[in-house]
Amino acid sequence: MLVVSDLVAAYGKIEALKGVSLRAETGRITCLLGPNGAGKTTLMMSIAGILKPRRGSIRLGDTELTGLSPARIVGQGIALVPENRLVFPQMSVLENLLAGAYQRGDKAEIAADVERMYDRFPRLRERREQLAGTLSGGEQQMLAVARALMSRPRVLLMDEPSLGLAPLVVAEIFRIVSELNRDGTTIFLVEQNAHMALQVAHHFYLMEQGRVTFSGSPGQLAEDEVIQRAYLGARRAGG
Amino acid sequence: MIDFVQNTIDGVMIGASYGLLALGFTLIFGVMRRLNLSYGPSIMIGAYLGTLIYVQFSAGPVAVVVMTVLGAVLAGIYVERLCFAPMAASAGIASMVSSFAIWMQLEQAAILILPRHTYPFPPLATGAPLELGPFLLRIDHLMMLACALLLSAGVQYVIYRSRFGLALRAIIGNPVAAHLVGIDVKTSVMLAFAGASAVGGIAGYLVLAIDQQVTPMFGMWATMKGLIAMMIGGLGSIPGAILGGLVLGVVEAHSLWHFGPQVRDLVAYLLLFACLVLRPSGILGDAPAAETSIGRRSA
Repeated sequence: MLVVSDLVAAYGKIEALKGVSLRAETGRITCLLGPNGAGKTTLMMSIAGILKPRRGSIRLGDTELTGLSPARIVGQGIALVPENRLVFPQMSVLENLLAGAYQRGDKAEIAADVERMYDRFPRLRERREQLAGTLSGGEQQMLAVARALMSRPRVLLMDEPSLGLAPLVVAEIFRIVSELNRDGTTIFLVEQNAHMALQVAHHFYLMEQGRVTFSGSPGQLAEDEVIQRAYLGARRAGG
Repeated sequence: MIDFVQNTIDGVMIGASYGLLALGFTLIFGVMRRLNLSYGPSIMIGAYLGTLIYVQFSAGPVAVVVMTVLGAVLAGIYVERLCFAPMAASAGIASMVSSFAIWMQLEQAAILILPRHTYPFPPLATGAPLELGPFLLRIDHLMMLACALLLSAGVQYVIYRSRFGLALRAIIGNPVAAHLVGIDVKTSVMLAFAGASAVGGIAGYLVLAIDQQVTPMFGMWATMKGLIAMMIGGLGSIPGAILGGLVLGVVEAHSLWHFGPQVRDLVAYLLLFACLVLRPSGILGDAPAAETSIGRRSA
């Protein structure tokens, strides 16, 4: 289980996270919804170790993650599919996958995992020699997910996987999210697409202006209200 | 005609050393996208340490090579820690300017270690040149050419076929994503810097062993030649570095023959200027000077 407690992160004097506490239960899909600027990406980057939080703790099982380098955090079993995908544009699809397995030494197992990724994402098999920068947005998202899975994470973090993608592709991404979860991966997902996210999530949080403002299961809050708060923020929307 | 061919041969040989200098330069630029003006001076520090043990303890050639390369690597890491590691990704100018400051510092350090202006440097091979019909081939020149080709092939292999190369290309492609897949970015960059300095150290050793003398000006010379050859060949391209060096060497050799040593350097700068105007990406670079091609999948 991934547990975030009272996390504070700031850019200069501006606090982006003002004491965030939440948890992603093992084996489940947890969603974090909220408007732009709520601090969702800051939270993801803090968990991955790219940003150093001011205060608070991030624990995976019994291990404290704050203060570890990003590489060590990957070693602990966390992989982030970042916002905007961030594939390695001038490397082939296959090389992107191999980079995802960077910390692993088991060559035969890595090759087998590459095949598994190709089975799960057939488009990647077709394009395995192609430079990642030439893929479509949807294909790049598949690649970013597959690359993250190559580290065999215990917890998969996904930051806005639906961003900028066509509705059909978004549906495909969420189908894969459910599938990965059924196969045993714990998923912590940040989304703006509340409608899709609520369909797959076991539990969700709402985050507004650096604070968690709601925690519950889908259905506990009317979808209209979730959507309004996820897109606009309650304070502004509620007026 | 015989002169023309002989000049071309000499140019290729000297150009091989420029190519080696450009190879180290382009590695640093390719990985960090920063210009390291202290590149030549850190090689010069290695050479000074090499000549120090040669002059003081009459060390043999192997010890001098090791000392030169080791010194260049240590000085390179020093530059990296001071000018590149602490600067944010956006502070490219700060890195370049601080590398200029370190250049001056290294030059002064070299003068303090060995205050005379010129010091002897042990020769590489002293045999008579090979005769090939009417043409002469110096053994040490041939060794330099062989080193340039072998080292560039080796670097090419490491970058495109090894796990370390995969990490470097990932860092070039997207540093944040490189962190996210678990690459230790800081260590990898430092190792790349050290590797580039080692290549530079070998280049420096070969050049100085042929010249048989070293002065504090060698640092500036190495930075200039490496920079020009890199720009001509194509920023961030490994084969381009060698090719750029060879072109520069050949052009210099011919202008030396026809116009004398003063004009030779002028021609080198003219060549750079013409290259920047006519083909800003260099011979083998496929991107404008702001980009780099080392991160591409195949070169």
